[in-house]
Amino acid sequence: MTEASGASCTPASSRGWDEVLSAAAVSRGYGHGRGRIEVLSRVSLDVRPGERVALCGPSGSGKSTLGRILALLDPPDEGEVVLDGEPVRATGLRLPRTVRQQVALLWQSPRTAADPRLALAALVTEPLRSGGRRHRPPPAAIEAALAARCAQVGLAEELWGRYPHEVSEGQLQRACLARTLIARPAYLIYDEPTSMLDVSTQAALLEIIAAEQRDRAMGVLLITHDRTLASHWCDRSVELAGVASQVAPEPLLQ
Amino acid sequence: MTTLAPAPPRFARLREVATRPTSVLIAGGVLAALVLAALGADLLRPADGIALDRVLAPPSLEHPFGTDETGRDVLALSLRAMRVSFAISLLAASVALLIGVTIGVLAGTLGGWVDGLLMRIVDFFGSQNHFLFAILLVVLFRPVLGAAAAVCLSVGLSHWLVLARIVRGELLSLRERPFVAAAVGGGASRARLVVRHFLPHLGPSVAVAMVLLLPHAIFHESALSFLGLGLPPHQASLGNLIAAGQRSMLAGAWWISVFPGLLILAACVAFGTLGEYWRDRHQPRWRGELEL
Amino acid sequence: MNPPAFSVRDLGVTFATRRGPVTALSGIDLDLHPGTVHVVIGESGSGKSVLAHALLDLLPRNVTLRGSRHLGAEDLAAADARRWREVRARHLAFIPQSPMSALNPVRRVGPLLVELARARGVARSAAWPAVAAALRSVDLDPERIRSSYPHHLSGGMAQRVVTSLALVGSPQVVIADEPTSGLDADLIDRTAGHLANLAERGAALLVITHDLTLAQRLGGTTSVLYASQLLERRHTGALFDSPAHPYVVALLDARPERGGRPIPGMPPELTALPGHCVFAARCTRVRAECRREVPALHPLDDGGVRCVLHAGVQQGVG
Repeated sequence: MTEASGASCTPASSRGWDEVLSAAAVSRGYGHGRGRIEVLSRVSLDVRPGERVALCGPSGSGKSTLGRILALLDPPDEGEVVLDGEPVRATGLRLPRTVRQQVALLWQSPRTAADPRLALAALVTEPLRSGGRRHRPPPAAIEAALAARCAQVGLAEELWGRYPHEVSEGQLQRACLARTLIARPAYLIYDEPTSMLDVSTQAALLEIIAAEQRDRAMGVLLITHDRTLASHWCDRSVELAGVASQVAPEPLLQ
Repeated sequence: MTTLAPAPPRFARLREVATRPTSVLIAGGVLAALVLAALGADLLRPADGIALDRVLAPPSLEHPFGTDETGRDVLALSLRAMRVSFAISLLAASVALLIGVTIGVLAGTLGGWVDGLLMRIVDFFGSQNHFLFAILLVVLFRPVLGAAAAVCLSVGLSHWLVLARIVRGELLSLRERPFVAAAVGGGASRARLVVRHFLPHLGPSVAVAMVLLLPHAIFHESALSFLGLGLPPHQASLGNLIAAGQRSMLAGAWWISVFPGLLILAACVAFGTLGEYWRDRHQPRWRGELEL
Repeated sequence: MNPPAFSVRDLGVTFATRRGPVTALSGIDLDLHPGTVHVVIGESGSGKSVLAHALLDLLPRNVTLRGSRHLGAEDLAAADARRWREVRARHLAFIPQSPMSALNPVRRVGPLLVELARARGVARSAAWPAVAAALRSVDLDPERIRSSYPHHLSGGMAQRVVTSLALVGSPQVVIADEPTSGLDADLIDRTAGHLANLAERGAALLVITHDLTLAQRLGGTTSVLYASQLLERRHTGALFDSPAHPYVVALLDARPERGGRPIPGMPPELTALPGHCVFAARCTRVRAECRREVPALHPLDDGGVRCVLHAGVQQGVG
């Protein structure tokens, strides 16, 4: 295994043994009656703090669906999602804000994941300001967090005032990563890192995520069809093809 | 390619305007003229008093729109009446905007049974003849709120449906976009989603709808005033003038009714042309909803 | 070697924007030969999409274009809008990035494809057979596709439909812009196969992508673009085995299987390109002469590399 998987080190924070994000026998389908498609059928998956898990499978196997369920955005039809020992009973807007911020989703296409009417600085700090007046940190703290996270992802200050259509895909994805990390989530789900960005930007983003993992023992789920990436960056991979199975990834032979 | 947003070279805006269809340019010119005339009515055509030596004079150089049965200049009367009509219509359209956007946002963001209930209400009112409904409202509100307010409310309450449908429709498609899910994941509350993310995106559609609503409002207010249900004579709008001119028609003085009528027509067509052009360029989906 | 089906000399594209002139492409030479594949690799902002649009003359109005474009022997500088429409209809085929946006959502796919075939110059009676044959060559059932609407097709199927269109009417040049973005590994492989098929049938194929695996799979010749300039052009196999330009070396090292090391720093802003080697600021082997002027494209192995380290050197050493 290459040194990229050095993430399985001791978590920096003291987190208990039941700290895990897991899907337990989750099923989900779309449509009704004869047109119904069962995308996921009793799938189980665990992500532990500090761990890197890959979720692989052919297109249509339900990877993104499972990603959204684990990100607490969509409810499963059957089964449940358990976050740090507590089953999660609601999703989306019905969940308390703090719970929602525990699991963050980094989207495949930055252009659709960024509100075109917000400048990058507003985009990145949105999770901090989403709590309304009572929970909002003072402006100085928000500024500091913005500066720190932008430095972390490599987003130069002159870009902060720009709008999504005025920056490149790579820069926009960096801003989205900053937005994802600014709320210090316990788990990060990264949907298809390879499809929209060039190799160097992909590598840069993964490095930043790896550093964050070393800092805070964040658990990472990588949803990808690129098995090369999965085998070199992740500790283990889960294959979706109707039935989830757990496979220790092997480096591809040359 | 999206990083290279083309910037307008010098005078590009003017050039862009000049390439628009002639009908749109004419409509814009007419509208500008009408609005300026209405605003500058006092300067352009100071109100004159009763002059019994010029009763019912036909259009001439001195009185381009002729005079009425008490000798007052019809052009002066028309300009002031146009100002009243524009003002009332704008207020009424604002009422419609407020109610329509609120209902649309509630239906679009809450979904579920709230959406179902609100849409059934919209359907119910939509299936009624909205002019009769407007008459009913005016008759109800008049003694309580006075004529002007009653007309505003009446026109506003009978025209909010289209806005509600448009807003709800926009929200339904907006809700599915990933950046909304990203905001939810970041901890945004429903209220914050609406204010910070939805309303800014609704701006253009609502603006187009408003422009197309104005001719409706003008027309309806004129119709109500014509029937005597609208504004009182001392706050005469174009509709009042047409009604007042009816009596003189029999005496052959066609100008008192016809010119105010032409002004209504010009305003409606101008707003309508501009609004439709804008709608087709930016929001062609709403073609079925926003018909004149 | 056959004469090129399409060739470009010293192509430069500059956009006039609010923030000043943006140099999207500078000094690009390109030859597309029939029956071959030419891959253009670059990150977003490198100019590769602009290259595709420049070849098709689909650039917006605020653009200044320098250099020459030739379709066979014809100099396209003399072509007016009408001629360009003909060229785009008959001689050039474009496979766009998102197939769904290329298919009209309110029309059934069959009639739409027939209409596009006719625009290519295929006779009315031969149109559907030609479309059907093209669909079969990408493993699609023509009868099923004919009556479907675009939203009935999966992403992969739509991509295949749009790729197969490039076969209809036998265009000389096929330009594919990121044909595999958003597709899964298995679909990428199949698309690569279909694209190679296009070249085998005699078209000159230009594929623009950021996906290095796809490039390697396609073979042919690869050009690497960075900040509007061509940095290296070699046979694909040679480029991947022993890259010459430090940028290409670093790019290949960023792949997860090679260690996943990102290239430090960011590409220069296209509004403020340095007057010297565009990669100098991030290059680990930079020298004083790199900052003097833009290096020439030094010949290497049937191709070239724009780097002072290879001036006068004929062997390719990474």
